[in-house]
Amino acid sequence: MEKFPLKGTVTSSTATSSFGPAQLSTTPTMYHSVDAKNGNGVEGGSLSDARLRPTGLTNRGAIISSDEDMQQDVNHHHHGTSQLSGNNAYLDRNVRLDDGTSHCGITFSGMQVSADSDDIPGIGQYDDFHTIDWQRDIARDRMRHRYIVKKKHDSMWDLIKGAHDAWSGWLCVLFVGLFTGVAAGVIDIGASWMTDLKFGICPQAFWLNKEQCCWSYNETTFDGGNCSQWWTWPEVFSQSKTGAGSYVISYMFYIAWALLFASLSASLVRMFAPYACGSGIPEIKTILSGFIIRGYLGKWTLIIKSVGLILSVSAGLSLGKEGPMVHIACCIGNIFSYLFPKYGRNEAKKREILSAAAAAGVSVAFGAPIGGVLFSLEEVSYYFPLKTLWRSFFCALIAAFVLRSINPFGNEHSVLFFVEYNKPWIFFELVPFVMLGIMGGIIATLFIKANLYWCRYRKTSKLGQYPVTEVLVVTVATAIIAYPNPYTRMNTSQLIYLLFSQCGVSNADMLCDYDRNFTDVNSAIEIAAAGPRVYQAVWLLVLALILKLIMTIFTFGMKVPCGLFIPSLCLGAIMGRIVGIGMEQLAYKYPHIWVFSEECSTGVDCITPGLYAMVGAAAVLGGVTRMTVSLVVIMFELTGGVRYIVPLMAAAMASKWVGDALGKQGIYDAHIGLNGYPFLDSKDEFQHTSLAADVMQPKRNEALNVLTQDSMTVDDVDTLLKETEHNGFPVIVSRESQYLVGFVLRRDLNLAIANARRLMEGITGQSLVIFTSGSNVQTHGPPPLKLKKILDMAPITITDQTPMETVVDMFRKLGLRQTLVTHNGRLLGVITKKDVLRHVKQLDNEDPSSVLFN
Amino acid sequence: MREYILLTLSIILISLSQCQAQSYDDKRCKCICPSLSSVLNTSQSSPERLNIIASVAPSKCNCDGVILPHLGNQIKGKEQIFCPRCDCKYENRNTTIIKIVVIIVIWVISLLVIYMLFLICLDPLLNKRIHKGAASGSYQEHTNEEDDSTISPGTSHAMGVRGNVLNRVGHQQDKWKRQVREQRRNIYDRHTMLN
Repeated sequence: MEKFPLKGTVTSSTATSSFGPAQLSTTPTMYHSVDAKNGNGVEGGSLSDARLRPTGLTNRGAIISSDEDMQQDVNHHHHGTSQLSGNNAYLDRNVRLDDGTSHCGITFSGMQVSADSDDIPGIGQYDDFHTIDWQRDIARDRMRHRYIVKKKHDSMWDLIKGAHDAWSGWLCVLFVGLFTGVAAGVIDIGASWMTDLKFGICPQAFWLNKEQCCWSYNETTFDGGNCSQWWTWPEVFSQSKTGAGSYVISYMFYIAWALLFASLSASLVRMFAPYACGSGIPEIKTILSGFIIRGYLGKWTLIIKSVGLILSVSAGLSLGKEGPMVHIACCIGNIFSYLFPKYGRNEAKKREILSAAAAAGVSVAFGAPIGGVLFSLEEVSYYFPLKTLWRSFFCALIAAFVLRSINPFGNEHSVLFFVEYNKPWIFFELVPFVMLGIMGGIIATLFIKANLYWCRYRKTSKLGQYPVTEVLVVTVATAIIAYPNPYTRMNTSQLIYLLFSQCGVSNADMLCDYDRNFTDVNSAIEIAAAGPRVYQAVWLLVLALILKLIMTIFTFGMKVPCGLFIPSLCLGAIMGRIVGIGMEQLAYKYPHIWVFSEECSTGVDCITPGLYAMVGAAAVLGGVTRMTVSLVVIMFELTGGVRYIVPLMAAAMASKWVGDALGKQGIYDAHIGLNGYPFLDSKDEFQHTSLAADVMQPKRNEALNVLTQDSMTVDDVDTLLKETEHNGFPVIVSRESQYLVGFVLRRDLNLAIANARRLMEGITGQSLVIFTSGSNVQTHGPPPLKLKKILDMAPITITDQTPMETVVDMFRKLGLRQTLVTHNGRLLGVITKKDVLRHVKQLDNEDPSSVLFN
Repeated sequence: MREYILLTLSIILISLSQCQAQSYDDKRCKCICPSLSSVLNTSQSSPERLNIIASVAPSKCNCDGVILPHLGNQIKGKEQIFCPRCDCKYENRNTTIIKIVVIIVIWVISLLVIYMLFLICLDPLLNKRIHKGAASGSYQEHTNEEDDSTISPGTSHAMGVRGNVLNRVGHQQDKWKRQVREQRRNIYDRHTMLN
């Protein structure tokens, strides 16, 4: 799309790094050359364009000098590149085309408008907390693409540029995948090291965690993981390894480290990037549905979220790093999309990259590339064409590959709790699996309701004023309660690994204390009576389940980076393991009941409690997030066993049914609702009989604020802009006829008027604002201000009798920002996305004023 | 400032990666077996496990290659019983990556903490002095930070005049601080987002 795509970015980066005045004088020369070419290519422009072009040049110069200091900021980068790229050549040519023929069709002029309007800085961008117009952005991209295809045959350089444009999407997701993998590796390694710092240190190589410290420890007896290289804190200070004193010292150190990490995390988030708190998935969902939150995917958010995530996971809080990984990946996607103006300057196109980045995030979080793609498709993305699917696939692949090569856990996999399973399951076990699904759904609903209640309380009460204190209190409470129980003391991922894995020789935990006979050569590890320590472990696990459930309710939503996947997986795994042990002992004691039909009489490969843990984990996670397909795929990628798809599907389905019956929404949708984000869910149906006329603004007895195409002065427009707060105005032929001409956005209008005031001579308050292309307007008095460029001549219109069902469908499927309502061909009103959301809330008997933003 | 940080960081990283501890290998073969007594005596089963680690070739990572050299005389004649009980795995890791990553993490966290302390303690003092000196330099309270800074010609002119590095960095920092303050207001005061 650009004249000099590489040169453009290079120049912008020199503008950031070199500060001398010399560079100021060199950059405009490039524009001179670009513009000279442009001027040669275009002959016989109309009067207004001739006036505009030289001023446009000075405008660009001015922008460079004012903008040079901003260009380091990613959010501002597009301003720089938009000016630097010199794409005005083709825009001007399009103007000429339009002016020359001036009878082009509506669709064409609609596109032309959007592409052309880049002339004025900032047009095509959106304000913070605004909804994007997918149709407009996609039309802009189509226009740009058409231009490149047309230019391709002109020269070799244009051909190369065309090729660069064609592959830039793939290149961008390649970078996103690479950096997501690296970021995940850093977080994994950092978090596992820092978690173990709570227990002790490896004095010979302080950067190793406990497992890595004891890695090449060559002693034949082994007492549950401690080796002489690894020093626990009491050993460091008092040289005693056991006893009450050392227990107290360990306890104290555990709490102190947890407190330190949590306070660091909370204060870093508060100080540098408040947007880094929380899981991020509700916001990502809203952003992908077409909403602007400036700075939410910025580089400070990326840094602070990564560091804060390491710290808050290490603090032993009941949270996970998997959900925030999606946010981190999307930050990386956003930052890299600015390298490619095709994506960085077009919000609709940028969301394609973000969808791919979300897939990469899940891919590295669970080591499940396909699951990541499906997660992006099922859970977060709104607009997901096949091209994006393939890019997501590629991005997830690259990210998983990079993380796998980093090998953060030294286990040849990208997650700590990878298990390999190849045990058969018997048909009757489907019954307990479905039961697990039902229990998972109940636990999940309980969790969602309680967490929502707590978050609402935090939002409305005084508690919300003490975010850091809250984090500290929760951390201390978690640490104090968690330490005595070995299952809550350990890292949650390790606990999940323990619960998922089967009891074999390598597993010396008390969960595996079965009365096994090791002397018989021919039998594998077989079903056996549970020893007393297994029952002790079960009781501890019950306590851990209750504790984790309560702590997660209070933790999720605190002002630190915190995810939900790991805690819910852990809850489900505990539940499943307990049920699994119960089933196992049942089968051991009564092997000849018909339900265990023969399989269990041999004693081998009968019931695996680890499989129940896995199914339970899927059930709770499915109940909490209401995922189905992606969840099952993630789980089976975690276990590498295709044969468990049916149990996992049964549990996920049961849990979703129970969850949907008990409470309407998953946790992410519930949080979207709580925050009032303008998210029009494509999952629910609209089942009411209202008409467009009931929803549209203005209501009866109110006047519609409109612009006329050629009879308003600049002062009139200014008054209108001052007195109203609408984000856009319909343009009509005249107040008498009310025939619709087009739609103009408030932001564009503001920018265009400010731009004209600054750069065009003779624009006063009395100048007429003209939205038509004709030059038949009498120009006595001050020169008119021509704003046809910013007028959208192809707004979507409906009639006032259109059922709302259709309107909602149009908003969902076309991604509209607003639609105009007509009656007998005359303009009657406007329906915005916010109106639709409020209407939906009202009909669902909810408070419509809870929809915030625009 | 940023270049200096990067430079020092890279120097430290290079120097650290050269003095790597030799006792930590990157390859191992790890075998876990039940304790000898539980296999040989059959009387009691204990949770004790034998943990044997050796650095051998991947093809040798099995009972014959690792366990028999260690315990050969203790389990003489019972190899067929003992060996199937053992679980041998060949594993790889990369301590250099771990070290670099951990050191980077420590660095980043300490830099952020230092900067945070600077912003909390020293910055208000410095700002007070500067603002006393140039009373006009206060920025407008605006939510749309990018519009007013790119369009208004006054700002750009002022920037062009006093365009030295320090001011530029300071301006950048002010803008960033303003954004963060806005975010903070959204989240911590108004509770409109991320609840």
